[in-house]
Amino acid sequence: MSASEDQVDVERVLAGEISAFEGLVRRWQGPLVNLAYRFCGDRSRAEDMAQEAFLRAYRALGGWRKDAAFSTWLFALATNLYRSELRRIPARNVSLDDVPEPRDLRAIDGGLEDEDRDRVVRRAVLNLPAKYREVLVLFYFHEMDVSAAARSLGVPEGAVKARLFRGREILHGKLSQLLTGYCLEEA
Amino acid sequence: MKLDDDLDRILSRDAEIVPSSGFASSVMDAVRQEASAPPAIPFPWKRALPGVTLAVVAFVSAAILGFDQLRAVVTVPTFPAVQKWLDTAAKSPLIPASGWIVLAVLLTMLSMNLSMRFVSRKF
Repeated sequence: MSASEDQVDVERVLAGEISAFEGLVRRWQGPLVNLAYRFCGDRSRAEDMAQEAFLRAYRALGGWRKDAAFSTWLFALATNLYRSELRRIPARNVSLDDVPEPRDLRAIDGGLEDEDRDRVVRRAVLNLPAKYREVLVLFYFHEMDVSAAARSLGVPEGAVKARLFRGREILHGKLSQLLTGYCLEEA
Repeated sequence: MKLDDDLDRILSRDAEIVPSSGFASSVMDAVRQEASAPPAIPFPWKRALPGVTLAVVAFVSAAILGFDQLRAVVTVPTFPAVQKWLDTAAKSPLIPASGWIVLAVLLTMLSMNLSMRFVSRKF
């Protein structure tokens, strides 16, 4: 994804050529929808949230100061929107106690089945308190880049690291039993 | 540590979803609708300013008058604590200075408004 393409499209949109915005939408629809999906875990809602993020980006396009990459600005705007959306209407959380038992708690070789384990972990992340959930979601969305997560959230890197640590601690507490079997099996 | 690695592995390979085929055109429809809508009418601060100022002055005057009335009414000895508080408050330099306070608040709001305009380059 080329930064110069973004800049050209933004300048065209600002000059009044609305159709140039489609280039930005096509380039960034995947990341924005996926980021929203990681926040809410609901495909249809993720698309609604991403559409609103694009609309806000369109309205605020003149505010992009070009001292940061367009993607950084766009992710920060989208993250801000997704966070407030989820504060307004929280994601449909399912308590870990309500998660149905995996089809087969111990597979023949002694571990949880991959699919079940992944689902339980993702639900556990969605059930975390907002400030830890947001950091974890952004950290993995940005391929474990702390500074990118910090820029999207608009907080210092130190705060991101501290929340990551605490968020993982909470996850450990919730998941240790479920994942221990898997770890032992993998070791 | 192994558990951390495990979480990293599971959360890093989070399922990617592909936006539905009509997503981009739906966004563009919304954007075009937004672009064709008439611009929002800004709040007419210039016209409203005299009214707002009058309302603030009226509110402050009413508050001061109300305070004096209250002091006159609450002289019943059954509420010595309230009476004492009212007397203390009346002696406070805040009451005679309230006009200046209002003026300072208005000036602060005005300077904030001006600086916001400078920052957003709409001035």
